Amino acid sequence: MQYLIQLLISGLAIGAIYGLIAMGFAVIYKSTGLVNFAQGEMTMITAYIAWTISTTVSGNVFVVALGAILAAVLLGLIIERLVMRPMLGEPVFATVMVTIGLAVILRSAINFIWDAYPHGLDIGMGRGIVHVGGIGVRTGQIAVIVTLLALLAAIWAFFRYSKVGVAMRAVAADDRTALLMGISATRVHALAWAASSVIAGIGGVFFALSYDLSPAMFQLGLKAFPATILGGLDAVLGSGIGGLLIGITENLAGGYLGSGMKEVAGFAMIIVVLMVRPFGIFGERDIERV
Amino acid sequence: MIKHLAAAALLLTTACLAVGPAAAADPGITDTEILIGDVEPLTGPPALLGVAASIGHKIAIAEANAAGGINGRKIKYVLEDDGYITARTIQGVKKVIDVDKVFAMIGISGSGQSIAVMPVLEKSGIPTVIDVAPVKFLWEPPRKNVFVVGQSYEEGIVHLVNFLADKNPGKKWGLITQDDDYGITVRDGFDSVVKAKKLNVVYSGNYKKGQQDFSSDMLQLKETGAEVFLAGGIIAENIAMMKELEKLGIKPVTGIFWPGRIEPVLKLMGPAGDGIYAVDYVEPFAGAAGKAFLEKAKPLVSEAEFKGINRYTMTGYAAARVMIAAIERCGKQPTWACTISELEKTKNVETGVMAPISFGPGIRFSNQKLQIMQADAATLSFKPVN
Repeated sequence: MQYLIQLLISGLAIGAIYGLIAMGFAVIYKSTGLVNFAQGEMTMITAYIAWTISTTVSGNVFVVALGAILAAVLLGLIIERLVMRPMLGEPVFATVMVTIGLAVILRSAINFIWDAYPHGLDIGMGRGIVHVGGIGVRTGQIAVIVTLLALLAAIWAFFRYSKVGVAMRAVAADDRTALLMGISATRVHALAWAASSVIAGIGGVFFALSYDLSPAMFQLGLKAFPATILGGLDAVLGSGIGGLLIGITENLAGGYLGSGMKEVAGFAMIIVVLMVRPFGIFGERDIERV
Repeated sequence: MIKHLAAAALLLTTACLAVGPAAAADPGITDTEILIGDVEPLTGPPALLGVAASIGHKIAIAEANAAGGINGRKIKYVLEDDGYITARTIQGVKKVIDVDKVFAMIGISGSGQSIAVMPVLEKSGIPTVIDVAPVKFLWEPPRKNVFVVGQSYEEGIVHLVNFLADKNPGKKWGLITQDDDYGITVRDGFDSVVKAKKLNVVYSGNYKKGQQDFSSDMLQLKETGAEVFLAGGIIAENIAMMKELEKLGIKPVTGIFWPGRIEPVLKLMGPAGDGIYAVDYVEPFAGAAGKAFLEKAKPLVSEAEFKGINRYTMTGYAAARVMIAAIERCGKQPTWACTISELEKTKNVETGVMAPISFGPGIRFSNQKLQIMQADAATLSFKPVN
């Protein structure tokens, strides 16, 4: 039983990181109808900026968190304004290709700005191990699960009750009608890119805290993308939950079926789920897939 | 008049013939310069080895240039990035040979990349010394113009497992490897010792390249009660495994392989990395030879490059030294044929970063001596085990 619980906790922890990045995918898709293939790279850049702040400015957790959030907002806004806005009205395929190009540039930026060495993010917390009933868990792992759950609740409330959230839903549903209603689609898009960058960036920072920073970190995007497909590409909350499901499934498969099955299990689950619900567990039926 | 013209033409022809050897020399060489080419991963995660190896080449070249170059000619280093993508390696090697027209090649990316580029190197006939990823295919069968400095992955693993087996008789073993050619090589080496020494292997895992979370794998290792563990990851994987073991509260005797034996790894592993064993054929930086190398390198590279030094810098340095020495022995008018012949005659060349390097007739692999070292978390270094 302890073995199962340990697998579940570890699965939830890595799944929460996938979930946060998956939510980043969904926020952009929901608001702009676009799949951002640079999501993993944006996550990585934010984590590297957090590390730079921790090593050059202050290792205080609040300073690092505030700095990383501001940097993520800026990163999202800059990408939206300089790269994505000029693509407004262009074919979806061309826009998606731009995000792929952006991904390659951001990936290379790591070596140009930082280096290829792995680094540890040290903010004085998150690395300690607590033992509950004989099961060891890192405090950072507990924190990321709690953060995901808090963000799920906050985002649900944001889309349901705030004017901006309703505006984002309106633009996603029909941007022309939303425009006629006085909603600025470009502002909504900018907000979506900033929010996506922050949410995914939080996942990246937690990953760096629990594991390490390296130029391979962008691959988290490849793990989070199936999570958002599973949860629903247009379902922000569903994507978060999709991440948890992928994390748990991977760990259970790895623990009971063998390590080779770990990577396969999540994708096998996605195939099965999509055969039954092609729009994802929490997605809406009429969505366009790229 | 015609006689004068004929005499002038004869004189001109004679003059051309007199300077013929220089004019007809192989590419990449002028009266003042010799070009040496290299293709390495300078971007992406494998830049960790590519950048470091190129720094080693730069150190050897800067050292030679500071001493007057090769018989008066300065060495110019032409470096291309392949991003660890095989197609780009081939493209890069073709470019430095055909467009930049280099005289010799050193380094050359990872194992898969150098294997893929072998037909290009063979066809061109350019003198080449490979140093980053020594795998058997590169020297078996021996190619006339391609030399390899290092030791085979198989031998490295066999040496490490033998050492750990002798030190821990009768213990239960665990192994995890990557699902690619690197992982297969590690597993093959491990299996050969398992058979020979009848080791009791209780856990054998295989992870997909790029995997970052090893919680379930290490939990399985713990459940099997493995006491000696061969961590077959490269860098980030080994760090993740060791931290996971720390979380689970177990500390088996652990061995890692040289691609992951870089000092920053120890900082990231923290106390979990203390005491792990590694095998390598280059000197540890904590030893006298390693310290001497760092002293030598400091004035020859930039501050940023100095920070990027790791074990691959030593392999790169040694290969460049061997190449430079061979060209030098060819005298004032080096050619490809002479350089290849001199490379073949390389005998006990001292580089200070590994055992003396030798090749020979039909021997294109330097077969470096291996040594076991152990991590010391307190000083974040690997120290030789006697």
